[in-house]
Amino acid sequence: MSDSIIQLLLHGTWETIVMTFVSGFFGFVLGLPTGILLFLTRKGQILEQKVANRTLSVLVNIFRSIPFIILIVWMIPFTRALVGTSIGVSAALVPLSIGAAPFIARLVENSLLGLPPGLIEAARALGATPLQIVYKVLLPEALPSLINAASITLITLVGYSAMGGAVGAGGLGQVGYQYGYIGYDAVTMNSVLILLVLLVFIIQYAGDALSKRFDHR
Amino acid sequence: MIELQNVTKKFYQKDREVTALNGVSLKVPPGKIFGVIGTSGAGKSTLIRCVNLLEKPTSGQVIVDGKNLISLSNAQLAQERRQIGMIFQHFNLLSSRTVFQNVAFPLELAGTPKGAIKERVQELLQLVGLAEKANDYPASLSGGQKQRVAIARTLANNPKVLLCDEATSALDPATTRSILNLLKDINRRLNITILLITHQMEVVKSICDEVAVISNGELIEQGTVGEIFANPKQALTREFIASSLHIEIPAAYAERLSATDAEGLHPLLKLELTGQSVNEPVLSEASRLFGINFKIISAQMDHAGNVNFGILLIELSGNRDNYTAAINYFIGKHIKTQILGYV
Repeated sequence: MSDSIIQLLLHGTWETIVMTFVSGFFGFVLGLPTGILLFLTRKGQILEQKVANRTLSVLVNIFRSIPFIILIVWMIPFTRALVGTSIGVSAALVPLSIGAAPFIARLVENSLLGLPPGLIEAARALGATPLQIVYKVLLPEALPSLINAASITLITLVGYSAMGGAVGAGGLGQVGYQYGYIGYDAVTMNSVLILLVLLVFIIQYAGDALSKRFDHR
Repeated sequence: MIELQNVTKKFYQKDREVTALNGVSLKVPPGKIFGVIGTSGAGKSTLIRCVNLLEKPTSGQVIVDGKNLISLSNAQLAQERRQIGMIFQHFNLLSSRTVFQNVAFPLELAGTPKGAIKERVQELLQLVGLAEKANDYPASLSGGQKQRVAIARTLANNPKVLLCDEATSALDPATTRSILNLLKDINRRLNITILLITHQMEVVKSICDEVAVISNGELIEQGTVGEIFANPKQALTREFIASSLHIEIPAAYAERLSATDAEGLHPLLKLELTGQSVNEPVLSEASRLFGINFKIISAQMDHAGNVNFGILLIELSGNRDNYTAAINYFIGKHIKTQILGYV
């Protein structure tokens, strides 16, 4: 393997890591509050709101049903307006974040549904306001499962970002596509694969370890 | 201190309407322990949840410490709930927090400064006897210890009232007793009014001053524990009282028991003493009067609200001709007497 290919792979790895984690971050910025709202407005929950819950739920479902590769292309005008370009890492961050957010929202909603309902009841009985219930009860209690949700999301994003590589997103996906597929270089292709597998393993392992570290049940 | 006026709660499931509480009124005087007993599904849980408005009554008034809670805004209600402690059957401790942090939780909610929290939490853990467990997580505690933490947590804001939702139902008998003692102690020392719901007559008997029986969402009987034990009017109440007394004919006697009398056999009597029975040393008196000997085979006597009650199984021997007179003597003393057979 030539030095330039190694350079390319390293650079691609770095770009994939950036895309995965930065879009994961923005995905959570959007998806976490959405997931919390989905949970709180459900029937029988403290902010029960049928209309709001339905609306939010439909919105989340619509975005979840758009295939990611279509979402990237469909969002190009919006992406261009937001970051000024439609190719490269920063352009990929926009559809990646938007694509991850509804997925994260459902994962968060599910994590919160897994908590014993008695906890909210006890907090209410102790005089907690809805906001206090969210940041003093729901989030800390669901933390282990939220960390699991984060590892699942990040692993999905590794895949999504590689997919984005085919339409100019950069990262390992692009290296694999251009040099491996179009350039017909099996060594580069396999190296990309190994790097992606490694990345996924590291995320899963770190996620499991962190989740366990915060689990006192 | 706690007053429910004509509280009704209806739930709507699909198109079905379920009345969980129907016109419930009760009054808990300051400093008293009031028990509501009922079978599962009778509406106990809904009743206690209506007191701090975890469930909002469909109609009726809820007055705690002179304040009508129904008319309060959500923010005012959250404020008022800090004066109303509550503990639960399943403890509901936060698993992500240590014992110390769990007890500190309501103080954090109220915006208490850090230093004051530390002092107060230590004092509370001392009170419930768990000072050395401060840094443990709830997962490592026993059921009784968890309930103690929950009690400390709910006492943190100095509530005037404590609601106990089946607080001992998930605990073994010995732990139940120790938690009940703690509750009684809190009631006396801190002068906290307690409203508890339970399905165990044991609980009512050991710590309550007053009791109400709930069935199908209605309070069918209420009074002081003494009155209710002395003179239960409803069949369900009698059932609850009987359920706290277990007595059976020992196997060795049951085998020999014959339905008819014969030479050489002795009658086996069951005496039921209720609050109405005359409070006299009846056995020794009957023995003197009729020249009869009594052998106690099995007995369970109890004392609640200044009333003695219980069941005795006794074998009679001695002067056969006076057996009937003795039995009539017991009946005359308002003791329910029954010949179970002859042994």
